[in-house]
Amino acid sequence: MYNLDNLILYNDFFSNTESIFVMFINEISLMDFSVLHENHFKMILPEVFLATSILIMTLHASLVVTSRRLGYPLIMQSFGKLSILVLFLTLLLVNNNSITFMLTYQNTFVFDLLTLGVKEILLIATIFCLLISENSLVTQRINNFEYFILILCAILGLMFLVSSYDMLSLYLALEMQSLCLYVLAAAKKDSSFSTEAGLKYFILGSFSSALLLFGISILYGSTGTTNFDNFYLLFAETGFDNLALTSSVEKALLCIVSAFFFKIAAAPFHMWSPDVYEGAPTSSTIFFAVVPKIALFSIFLRLSQTIFFSLEDVFLFALLFFSIVSVIVGSFVALRQKKLKRLLAYSSISHVGYLLLAFSANSLEGTQSLFFYLIVYMVTSLCIWSIVLSLNTSFNQEKSKTLVDLASISNINPLLGLSAMLAFFSLAGVPPLAGFFAKMEIFVSALSSSLVFASLVAILSSVVSSFYYIRLIKTMYFEKKKDSSFVFPVTRACSLTIGLSVFFLVYFFINPNLLLLLTQKMALCLF
Amino acid sequence: MFFLIEEYLPILLLFLVSVGLACIILGASYFLGVQRPDTEKVSVYECGFDPYEDSRNKFDVRFYLIAILFIVFDLEALFLFPWAVSLSHVSAMGFWTMVDFLFELAIGFVYVWKIGALEWE
Repeated sequence: MYNLDNLILYNDFFSNTESIFVMFINEISLMDFSVLHENHFKMILPEVFLATSILIMTLHASLVVTSRRLGYPLIMQSFGKLSILVLFLTLLLVNNNSITFMLTYQNTFVFDLLTLGVKEILLIATIFCLLISENSLVTQRINNFEYFILILCAILGLMFLVSSYDMLSLYLALEMQSLCLYVLAAAKKDSSFSTEAGLKYFILGSFSSALLLFGISILYGSTGTTNFDNFYLLFAETGFDNLALTSSVEKALLCIVSAFFFKIAAAPFHMWSPDVYEGAPTSSTIFFAVVPKIALFSIFLRLSQTIFFSLEDVFLFALLFFSIVSVIVGSFVALRQKKLKRLLAYSSISHVGYLLLAFSANSLEGTQSLFFYLIVYMVTSLCIWSIVLSLNTSFNQEKSKTLVDLASISNINPLLGLSAMLAFFSLAGVPPLAGFFAKMEIFVSALSSSLVFASLVAILSSVVSSFYYIRLIKTMYFEKKKDSSFVFPVTRACSLTIGLSVFFLVYFFINPNLLLLLTQKMALCLF
Repeated sequence: MFFLIEEYLPILLLFLVSVGLACIILGASYFLGVQRPDTEKVSVYECGFDPYEDSRNKFDVRFYLIAILFIVFDLEALFLFPWAVSLSHVSAMGFWTMVDFLFELAIGFVYVWKIGALEWE
């Protein structure tokens, strides 16, 4: 048996002297691959557990649902709880990990504190998404057990995406999560809106994947490798003066950057997101809105700040441009929206703009503030989506919610109104809340990288966007409800989520140390 | 030139044999078979729907389901061939990876079978 340290050394040894010792490695792997890969296997244990659970759950559900002996039972409720349990166990496995840095399986996957943190956040956010959307699955009459399996597959893809350290594994993981998301958007089979959303998402998403693949193939054609480690070594030299190679690599990077902007819905490439948010069933929309962004940002940060850091000029120009456009589009177009889901989609576009501003600051503080903002944004949007789910009345239960549905919440349910007010104020960036702190940090880091003009535009647009957040609060507090209908009570999971996230928003303004430490640890992995 | 022959002779042979075999099979069924054509027989597909017709006709989405399932399991065979040929080079790891792949595909097959995607009616 090898002990831990030996194997880590072993692994480094492989990555550095690959070509010389290929024979040697082959011999070892012929001898006993279980010993060789033992430690690698330990690192991907959470993913293996999740994948195995998905297989077993598929088998279980397809056998039980079609069983005549059991009377074709409905298993949605229990299946949802089962998937939450699986996610929780995966979270424990991710947590139970003592190695701070390791490259596994011929440098295909990387494991460090960044991937650890992002995976934990992903899993926690998904657990909350599943908890709050449980009730809405019933009201939307989605009765396919595949729904949960797809969410678990998407999470598996996202976890692999965060860890990927090779263009091939990056592409495969990204496709795995996107394919699941397309189907989730079309989960309500009898609604033409949902089908349209799924189709739109699929066509535009596969277009962006094609761009990504094109960029990767140019990179491979000009450098002959797909591995991040090799890219890192190849481009580490800043005085890189092979013009032909640099220009083709720049083109490839622009393709990859555009694909990334498609996936996170930054402004000129944002067209799909309001339609998909609007058409998809609300339970899927919550998942799209809350979960995938942090994984995409973390892998892209790794690409731009660790792997291709000497080519950052290409990135910086694109990032700044997209950041300014997203902030402006997100703020101004949202003013005209009447439906809540579209409004939130545009608001998420403007928040992507702020995130990209922090990204283009290209410093440790910038990256840290990006993660800080992302986490605060995820918590706030969990809160807001649970509020949207709690607006059900006997009148509008089946319909898409509009701004009018918010009217006089403060009278019907004062606590819900107060939480909604705090959440919207935090999104707008009003002082005694975590949202203000996050936004301030982004602007401070952007200004310290002398991005004065971009920060000015972002600050002015944030004034515009605070108008529509405050208008929502006005609707909640000062407008009378027109119809008289029976208001359904807030579900227990929603109230728990709202309470926790409002506590988070207030507490982390007073004492943000925990979050600052976590985000700094994550950001340090990239520098 | 010699190395060209040495390297590509098997491919040339394969090409010639396959062309010859195709000619023999097609020619034999053309000349030896009894020919009584009717509209059903000479249509593009005997079952399924015509690929070139007015785009506003309704068609059955089940054709696509079958086609997609066919692709999945056809690709499985496509993976199996190179694996089987290079099995002596890929070590135990390669062997068990493929077994795992087949196992997971089998679970997918059970799912497809149980929810009735393979039944036409």
